Amino acid sequence: MNLVKLRKFTYEEVTRCNRCGFCLPSCPIYLVKGIESATPRGRNAITRAVIEGRLQWSGEVEKSIFSCLGCGACTANCFPAIKTRDIVFRDRECLVSEGIYPKIADRLAQYILEEGNISNENNEERAEWQELIKGIPEHYFEKEKADVIYFVGCVASFFPLAQKIPASMAMVMEKAGVDFTVLGGQEWCCGYPLIGAGMPDKMDALIKHNVEVVERIGATKVVFTCPSCYHTWKHFYPSGAEYLSASEFLVELLREGNLELKPLDVKVTYHDPCDLGRNTGVYEPPRKVLSSIPGVELVEMEKNRQLTTCCGGGGNLEMVEPELSGKVADLKIAEIQATGADVVVSSCQQCLRTIAGRARRRKIPLIVKDITELLAEAMV
Amino acid sequence: MEREEAIRKLQESVGEENVLFSDVDLTLYGYDASLEKGRADAVVLPGSTDQVSLVVRLAYQEGIPIIARGSGTNLSGGTVPVRGGIVLHFSRMNKILEVDIPNRTVTVEPGVITLDLQTMLLKQGFLYAPDPASQKVSTLGGNVGENSGGPHCLKYGVTTNHVLGAEVVLYDGTVTWIGGKNPDNPGYDLMGLIVGSEGTLAIATKIILRIIRAPEAIKTMLAIYDSIEDASNTVSAIIAEGIVPATLEMMDHVVMEAVEKSVQAGYPLDAAAVLIIELDGLKDGLDRQAAKVLEICKRHNVREIQLARDEAERARLWAGRKGAFGAVTRLRPCYMVCDGTVPRTKLPEVLNQVMEVGKKYGLLIGNVFHAGDGNLHPLILFDERDEAEKNTAMKAASEILKICADAGGTISGEHGIGIEKLREMNFIFTEDDLETMRKIKRAMDPKDVLNPGKVIPN
Repeated sequence: MNLVKLRKFTYEEVTRCNRCGFCLPSCPIYLVKGIESATPRGRNAITRAVIEGRLQWSGEVEKSIFSCLGCGACTANCFPAIKTRDIVFRDRECLVSEGIYPKIADRLAQYILEEGNISNENNEERAEWQELIKGIPEHYFEKEKADVIYFVGCVASFFPLAQKIPASMAMVMEKAGVDFTVLGGQEWCCGYPLIGAGMPDKMDALIKHNVEVVERIGATKVVFTCPSCYHTWKHFYPSGAEYLSASEFLVELLREGNLELKPLDVKVTYHDPCDLGRNTGVYEPPRKVLSSIPGVELVEMEKNRQLTTCCGGGGNLEMVEPELSGKVADLKIAEIQATGADVVVSSCQQCLRTIAGRARRRKIPLIVKDITELLAEAMV
Repeated sequence: MEREEAIRKLQESVGEENVLFSDVDLTLYGYDASLEKGRADAVVLPGSTDQVSLVVRLAYQEGIPIIARGSGTNLSGGTVPVRGGIVLHFSRMNKILEVDIPNRTVTVEPGVITLDLQTMLLKQGFLYAPDPASQKVSTLGGNVGENSGGPHCLKYGVTTNHVLGAEVVLYDGTVTWIGGKNPDNPGYDLMGLIVGSEGTLAIATKIILRIIRAPEAIKTMLAIYDSIEDASNTVSAIIAEGIVPATLEMMDHVVMEAVEKSVQAGYPLDAAAVLIIELDGLKDGLDRQAAKVLEICKRHNVREIQLARDEAERARLWAGRKGAFGAVTRLRPCYMVCDGTVPRTKLPEVLNQVMEVGKKYGLLIGNVFHAGDGNLHPLILFDERDEAEKNTAMKAASEILKICADAGGTISGEHGIGIEKLREMNFIFTEDDLETMRKIKRAMDPKDVLNPGKVIPN
């Protein structure tokens, strides 16, 4: 990406930002930092100033552009619906071309391209979560041919706190009699972290490999518990299979009557992950899953669906500025607590890690569960 | 004093992390929501009155301009640092200090977001009435500086009618109180002088606001018209009848089209204009008042009247109205809003003249405004990157303000003068008038450090 391309993709868009400021109260980064360079309006203005030659790419620009969560709340609150998230990601590409970016991103890219995952782990160890399942079938959910592929994602594979998600999802699908497989070491990172890092040109090999695997297995559906993988596949992956988020798939299973559920007496609130809700448009399926569990009472947060507040884990911020990410999580935790719910349910391993991690560090008693986990608990 | 030295002193006063001076920061604090641009020399995020006082004292001693601002949503360049200087951004001073229900007051810091205060009060059954369309982001300090209005100000009055007192920092850093919780104060009405002075006379650091009981009942109607003239005549007829609705807002088809592209507010795209009429007060009598309004609308050829059935529908109608300015950039990239005010009875005639100006210059103009107040907001649409078109738009804007002034109105209802309308001040004030204002400014800010270059033309 260079200035000429940046101009082509974003100049009309940023010019329509008339600095009305309606995005400010929706931007968690502004709410925490309280300065203009932390606002979506400011990021639009930076982009325009660079295009018009009034500002140069610099470390200060980098600070503003890389502190965006990519959560999209600004666009949801913007009457001309300026897509600041897309603009910011293109800015990041330019900054990478200029060599002005958080260098931790180089390590991330290296891990992804060399190992196939974000954690610099041996990719064959993606299936560690299977150890959480008692009496796992002999095929360990790894088959040569299957109708459905469950794409687990890097975070749920390698971060202990999130491994209960694939364990729950696999158990639910197994009990429902779904012909599915996971990919084990054949699953490579979807490439989403590279988009956030301003390096989308490095995704090609990943896309090519993952699509080949889908074709080899002959699956008609790929299911995701990670909203960012789901979002990335939906937008960048050319395969013939249908892509479904976990909750969309679970709604199908529930509709077919393949799941028998017992009551759970619990009051929950639901946190919409940005990449699932606002950025892909999946709001109701997770709520349908919740309402299908007898005894579950759902109380909504004041800001929900397209107006939801990001957990703080979006846009690679946790990697670049962990403390800022944590302060955004504090805003989210306050909204959750205001509902008086016993449990906050989400459908994203990153939201779960960010919210639960922050609550634990601040010694706030908060129970955070993934929707698959809650459903697994309710299974007879 | 050298710039580095001044910055070091500022850092000593408010802490290093609260002074910004990078190229990016100085560029970003050079705009507001108008088309004006400037560049600050430093940005300070004060955390207390004492810190504001220290910064102002330094500015006074060194003759550095000082510009106070909240969210920077103002519409006439009022917070644009045209002569450089220090921008004070009040985002950290955002606490509601006291809610005094028995005395019907609240005390706030200037960085409190208007809607945050209103939401908090409404939960207790109370209301801070002024509701600028930008209320979800505007700050109360900014509202005081601009003397902001809003749809409900027709019935309840603009910001100045709700400010009882303030702690202010004067030009040399002195901290003092003006007014207080008393409903009336002896002597000159200094509070009235400061509200709307756009930060040119003093900087408020605490504000005491009047609150009232939230109305028992609300009725919101959307009246749909096939002609703007009929809609305008309805407005003056309602007021002439002695009814004061809470709001009487008008929108034309250009604006409705833009809004409907943004949110589904439910505005009819084939209509020439709509009025959002809201009545509030005691439950008893509200139906009778609504019937009377309905009858007046019918007399003026209303096509249809829709009543908001619930709070969600009412919120939708208002969301569309409040986002109207931003929405018009779906039609053209930029807009210039002319905040002229005219006597209500002149509305049909002036609106026609406004549309003539648009035709004459080949510019698309949308109208969304506080019709009940006669406060127009013609939005001239253009592309500011096209220098020629921008100049034409500015010329048209000036002509529209002249039309308002000639019709017995004025050049700003609520958005202030800032720098954008300096040239038009002589439409309504004589040189003697302006000299009197300059004398006041000199008395309250002898070294011209408080937001210089604004409001009064040189």
